[in-house]
Amino acid sequence: MLVVRGMWTLARKLLLHDRLRFTVAIAGVSVSVMLVLVQVGLYFGFMDTASSLIDASKADIWVGKRSNDSFEFATPFDERTYYKVASVPGVERAERVIINFAQIKLPDGGDLGAQIVGVDLVPGQAPMLAPWNVVEGDAQRLTQPGAIVIDKSEVAKLHIEHAGHVTEVSGVRAEVVAMTSGIRSFTTSPIVFADIRTARSFMPMLGAEPVTYVLVKCKPGEDVEAVRARINALPHLAAYTTEQMSMRTRDYWSSRTGVGAGFFTTAVLGIIVGFVVVGQILYSGTLQYIREYGTLKAMGARNSAVVKVILSQAMISAALGFVVGAPLAMGMRAAMKSANLTVALSTELYLATLVITAVMCAFAALLSIVKVLRLDPASVFKA
Amino acid sequence: MTAALALHESLPSIAAPRDSLARLVGIGKTYGTGENAVTALAEATLDSRAGEVTLIEGPSGSGKTTLISILGLLLTPTTGEVWIEGQNVAGLGEKQLPGLRARNFGFVFQGFNLFPALTALENVAMAIQMKNGRAKDAKGEARRLLELVGLGPRMHHLPADLSGGQKQRVAIARALGGNPPILVGDEPTAALDTKTALSVMELLRELASNRGRAVVVVTHDPRLERFADRVVRVEDGLIQSIGSPSPHAHAHA
Repeated sequence: MLVVRGMWTLARKLLLHDRLRFTVAIAGVSVSVMLVLVQVGLYFGFMDTASSLIDASKADIWVGKRSNDSFEFATPFDERTYYKVASVPGVERAERVIINFAQIKLPDGGDLGAQIVGVDLVPGQAPMLAPWNVVEGDAQRLTQPGAIVIDKSEVAKLHIEHAGHVTEVSGVRAEVVAMTSGIRSFTTSPIVFADIRTARSFMPMLGAEPVTYVLVKCKPGEDVEAVRARINALPHLAAYTTEQMSMRTRDYWSSRTGVGAGFFTTAVLGIIVGFVVVGQILYSGTLQYIREYGTLKAMGARNSAVVKVILSQAMISAALGFVVGAPLAMGMRAAMKSANLTVALSTELYLATLVITAVMCAFAALLSIVKVLRLDPASVFKA
Repeated sequence: MTAALALHESLPSIAAPRDSLARLVGIGKTYGTGENAVTALAEATLDSRAGEVTLIEGPSGSGKTTLISILGLLLTPTTGEVWIEGQNVAGLGEKQLPGLRARNFGFVFQGFNLFPALTALENVAMAIQMKNGRAKDAKGEARRLLELVGLGPRMHHLPADLSGGQKQRVAIARALGGNPPILVGDEPTAALDTKTALSVMELLRELASNRGRAVVVVTHDPRLERFADRVVRVEDGLIQSIGSPSPHAHAHA
């Protein structure tokens, strides 16, 4: 125990002795920690956005066309399919959803592409998908013809300040009856909620009574997988549990678009930066004190004891780098929020980053460790 | 000479005078093989005795460093025997040697080799902890040793704030940590001015005379012979002579 305490003391003092080098090491680890947290946090934030509509639904199963790749760019089918799904044994209730793009009129006369989400609202029945986080207006009015709900975060894009604003979607009159908070699309187009009947009026090119997805609630006690298998047996349809649908959508955006690779490449670059800086700092420090380490080995200190000193320096660098880097990432999150970017920083991400930082610093110390392990204690006699 | 050891009682005697603490028998060391083989030392036999100061002299490249490296268990001989603690340790591997070194040897170097970030006290305490992980009061022992070498008032200073002689005293205190019976010095006075060099040798002399340490010092400086009991001359890898200090050197007593 005493030796361990002594190692920490020696490691701390050796690090702090050269303040400039110590500052560079901590700066390197901090930047690395911040990059990892922000990049991975941005990735998770984007992924949360990509699947937010699915995750917010109360459905057990999502049903769409088998040929669909993307959640947003799905091909609609006609309403007869909805009835086929609704009549599958084990289905308690089914709701129609239509998702497509339409042009919303801006106050200056211009147009902006918006993602229309038409939901199946039946008075007196809680829908499986409806606007949530309503912060202004009355979302119950969404059943009224021409009623829409938009998100507060899109105010700057749409120039719509408050509920009650009247505009046009695809040339059809639309009134904003409520506004939500934090509902954004991965495609960056504003999400516009409407009742399915209103939504269909915004997209006449899709033909009569189009449906993009059918949401299914299974009967109580029913095996969801069994119901899903029955629906999958229907021609041209694919059914997924809500969790599967969410993962599928995240995977699509992550792998098909290269978004995941982009974010993780930057995070890995951050780790490499930290690795190189800490490795270089530790190695130059080891070289500076090589005769002192040799003296300790000559006097009988075991390799393990000297290695602990170097590893302790690596762990101190990791811990302090994390302590500085994590608040930097929090600051970046706050700054990015104003740009409508979500950096999802969870406790799990912090813990994972701390472990990654410790492993990174331990690996960065390897060269120094090899140096002292190979150090011949007799070399201290060769002044 | 009496001022060198401030607190005699803080460092116990090790052995009866003239007891052999380490013995090299027929030691040879050859580097390389075949046509490239270079013999650094041959047929060297030497005792390290309690209470004695042994100087090893010789020109550069004569084999002095090889000799004390083998004596200090830092180098494995090619031939011969190294007797420590009643056993021939010449064939032991690097797993056993650190423990033997920690128990038996303290080293003092020309360049002091003190950690610049640690105070004198911390440098000595750290070495004690490294030698013996179970040392209960490393700081207390370090404090006593620094007082012993006359550095009590300066123990909280960093090496940068100490003179060369003071640094070497810290190094001697560090070498004494863990109470090893043999002190090995590699040109410990070479970086010091004459007055300081003599006071450091005076300290080593007292550690031998009064505390029963065997002190073995490599040096180029013939003026240090006045502190020695024996002078070993090494040339071309051979011990040419082991004898008394030259008649011109003053007796230490």
